[in-house]
Amino acid sequence: MWHKISFRLLKHELKRGELTIMALAIILSVTAVLSLSIFSDRLQAGLTERSSEFLAADRVLSSRRDIPQEWLEQAGQMNLKTSWKVVFNSMAFADENMTLVDIKAVSDGYPLRGQLEIADEPFGQGYVAEGLPAEGEAWVASQLFQALQLDIGDDIEVGNSSFKVTKVVTYEPDVGFSVFTDSPNVIIRHSQLEETGLIQPGSRVRFNVLMAGDNSDITAYEDWLLPRLNDDTHSWRSIEDGDSPLSRSLNRAERFMMLASLLGVVLAATAVAVAAQRYCQRNYDVVAIFKTLGASRQQIRRIFLLHLLLLTAASVAVGMALGWAIQYVVIEWVAQKLDATLPQAGWQPYALAGATGVISAVMFTLYPLFRLVSIPPLRVLHRQLTAGNAVRWLQWVLSGGTIYALLVIYSQQWWLSTALFAGGAVAAVILLGLGRLFISASRKAGMQAGSSWRLAMAGLQRRAAANSVQMLSFSTAIMLLLLVIVLRNDLLEDWKRQLPADAPNYFAINIAEDNVDDMQSMFERENIPSTDLYPIVPGRLTHINGEKLEDEVTKEERDEEVSDEDASENDGREGIGRELSLTWRDSLPPNNELTAGEWWGDNAEPQVSVELNVSERLDIKVGDELRFNLGGEEFTVPVTSLRKADWNTLQPNFYMIFNTSTLEDFPATYITSFRLDEERKSDLYELFKPFPQASLIDLDAMIDQIREVIGQVSLAIVFVLVLVIIAGALVLVAQVQASMEERQKELVILRTLGAPGKLLSRSITYEFLVLGAISGLIATLAMEISLFILQNQVFNMTPVIHWKLWLLGPAFGAVVVAVLGRLSCYRLIQRNTAQLIRKLT
Amino acid sequence: MLIQAQQLEKTVDTSEGPLQILQPINVSINAGDTVAIVGASGSGKSTLLSLLAGLDLASSGEVLIENEKLSELDEEQRAKVRADKVGFIFQSFLLVPSLSALENVMLPAELAGHKGAEKEARELLAKVGLEDRWHHYPNQLSGGEQQRVAIARAFVGQPKILFADEPTGNLDAKTGGKVEELLFDLNKDYGTTLIVVTHDQRLAKRCQRVLQMDAGQLSEAAQDVA
Repeated sequence: MWHKISFRLLKHELKRGELTIMALAIILSVTAVLSLSIFSDRLQAGLTERSSEFLAADRVLSSRRDIPQEWLEQAGQMNLKTSWKVVFNSMAFADENMTLVDIKAVSDGYPLRGQLEIADEPFGQGYVAEGLPAEGEAWVASQLFQALQLDIGDDIEVGNSSFKVTKVVTYEPDVGFSVFTDSPNVIIRHSQLEETGLIQPGSRVRFNVLMAGDNSDITAYEDWLLPRLNDDTHSWRSIEDGDSPLSRSLNRAERFMMLASLLGVVLAATAVAVAAQRYCQRNYDVVAIFKTLGASRQQIRRIFLLHLLLLTAASVAVGMALGWAIQYVVIEWVAQKLDATLPQAGWQPYALAGATGVISAVMFTLYPLFRLVSIPPLRVLHRQLTAGNAVRWLQWVLSGGTIYALLVIYSQQWWLSTALFAGGAVAAVILLGLGRLFISASRKAGMQAGSSWRLAMAGLQRRAAANSVQMLSFSTAIMLLLLVIVLRNDLLEDWKRQLPADAPNYFAINIAEDNVDDMQSMFERENIPSTDLYPIVPGRLTHINGEKLEDEVTKEERDEEVSDEDASENDGREGIGRELSLTWRDSLPPNNELTAGEWWGDNAEPQVSVELNVSERLDIKVGDELRFNLGGEEFTVPVTSLRKADWNTLQPNFYMIFNTSTLEDFPATYITSFRLDEERKSDLYELFKPFPQASLIDLDAMIDQIREVIGQVSLAIVFVLVLVIIAGALVLVAQVQASMEERQKELVILRTLGAPGKLLSRSITYEFLVLGAISGLIATLAMEISLFILQNQVFNMTPVIHWKLWLLGPAFGAVVVAVLGRLSCYRLIQRNTAQLIRKLT
Repeated sequence: MLIQAQQLEKTVDTSEGPLQILQPINVSINAGDTVAIVGASGSGKSTLLSLLAGLDLASSGEVLIENEKLSELDEEQRAKVRADKVGFIFQSFLLVPSLSALENVMLPAELAGHKGAEKEARELLAKVGLEDRWHHYPNQLSGGEQQRVAIARAFVGQPKILFADEPTGNLDAKTGGKVEELLFDLNKDYGTTLIVVTHDQRLAKRCQRVLQMDAGQLSEAAQDVA
């Protein structure tokens, strides 16, 4: 029988709109979580796919020796696509010219991820290559045309073989972003490798097998392969979080989206909590009637639990459908706009969204429900009777626990959740106190004002307890909104700063010392913005405080590591034991910041400044003695400073910078980066003709890729923002609605006493105005504090104070709360007194 | 004896110390009696009603319904007693706003697990003259109509006792008269024991017994049989 009653209540209350806010809140939280997590899942998958292009594969098996053919066959049997990529250095000859080149011998299918682009002339417009060079042909990088004085159609000799140069390579996905791939590339067919005679025992060759396929197939192959690998000779790599500007931007974006959605979910959960409380309060009479008519506690519990579960289930279902539809539309739009396909998401987002809806609905309704069930039947005669407050702690434990659980489930990061939660709890207590303080202050101010104001302030004061709770949710909602908006702007600004329209798009390296002045004047003459020219001396760090470091890694490996930008692979001391690019300078480079010690200035004593990440990795401190080996010559210098370098800028950065007197006598080549606009690209050949030794690296492809990704992410952020705004508005409406009953009673009395409608409507508006302004002010304060912590701890950004918001926050709060409050009370004021009285009884 | 109150007292704590609302009260009500409790506002009429109906517990003394001591029952058991034996009518009607007239009338029978609640409810709605308005919600009904629904609800499941708290208090004289008529007619049909708290002398006069409440003390007033 009870379930029939439960169904009936649900049906009618839905029809009467009693449950709208609560249903909307649940729907919103499910919609937000689902659409966001599917969206970010698919975006993530798309980006990983895109990032895989940096490897030209999903996985790469590398070895210093040849790789057994059986391993490739096994990969083929397990549905993986494979392709050879053998890389080594060799001299290339054309007539009397010769230069060191990187030979890349690849087989059909290369690249498995991303695309190879070629052009018909040096520095020409690239297009996607279909296939690979034919037998006896080679495709070479633009720089080689300068170095070897080549033309298309000429032959180059490599080892015992001769290859006809038929195309110019303009973009190789796996060349990565490194200024130290200093030799131009030559691409030939893997099948012709043997006849070059360059692969001999002891040659410094890197054999790579590229592999691509479904995740499950890759995992299966991994299980088969890994036991067979020899750690000394083989490496098995995938795209991991690297140190590239792209992956850092992505990490930040992902953290932002996660955080913003988290806040969105907390807001939606708050709306559920407020709505649930109000819903239960509205049902106090109903429960008293039920009990009077003989209903047992158990019956009542069942009736309302079922009622809420039905509501939850229906809302979760609607939320799921809506969330799916939204992400579908948004994804299609994004994909269309960015000309990309995004892979499907797994089942996890659905589970996460469902869980969020059910958890927030159930946990936030438990306490109000508990109170509801304990309403005494005597309330039918004494309406002032409510439930006891005996287990009020339960409410705090339940709602606090739920919010914390949601934070953990959603972020999967204990420390972040705990920090956010603890911060939030402290903020809540402070906000409550501040709110009360402000209300009592405004009451005093209001006493001196006109009657509408006086009435409004009296109202505020009278409902001080309820209002400070209300203000807490207003403040929280406004704060989270401001936080997300500001963070989004800061993040986008930060990216824009990193990739300004005039960011360098070329690196010039291997510049001869004699050419430095000429090149500088060429840049000035041609009006080409460039960075300083930095000298580079190759050298090795061999000892720290007399302790010898692991060393002796071949140059090929160095190239490979650096070109992959895969910092995670550089495991500590061995990593830095490789040859480094050392430089000297009098002044601290732009975008570098000292974190310890002092810059040398005019001090001529030999010394070195170490980049912060390296110093952390190798545990180097100011005062440590580092020994370097530069082409056989060894010397020891003290570390006098540590520097933080901004690796996001497309400018030369160095791990080790020496003062001038220490290095200036060593032979050096120079490096710079510069900006050449698209329309002047054809001049490049002419501009660099006087510097045949210099090599150029085109960064445009990479920059475009980063821009594209940032474009996608920015769209995602806008989407998150919209959801958070809706969630915030919902909390505000739920809160205003919650106070409606109380207001209604007051209005009746005032109306009955003959207060004119205008006075009442003004006083209500003023009350909300003040409430909103105070909430806005508190919110701005709280936002600045949270922002400071977040930018410092989570986003590694430089915190700034947002002065504008100190005006905007309170104004925004006042206007939004007043409008929402006024709209919610509109019907109340329009009713005549008799209608109001009737509604109350 | 259907209802007995023995040495019934009610004291509440106030900021100025304990306040005795009911002096020791002894009263017995037979099955089928119609009893009015009259008295000034604040004299303790409603408190007495809440104790007799088991909505509240006495500070001392005893209420027995069919020889069952309410003080020995927990809240759940008292709810069961109400479900089985008691019906209510209130001044402010107290209909469930989100249930239709029919559903409101069915409610006690459904809570008690009676089969055929709907049929019985429809018959009762017909008896109170609202058979055409069964699907209306309380806010779509006038005060008099709402009270008629409440009366129908009170009689569903044929309770032995009907408590009515100022049943005509919120109605104008004409409507009040009609409601009163209906109440007594149904009471006669069902043979219910009616205990009505009222200010309304005319209503009190229609009862077999009138109990006068005065500052927490109850006395029997002389009464002609209606």
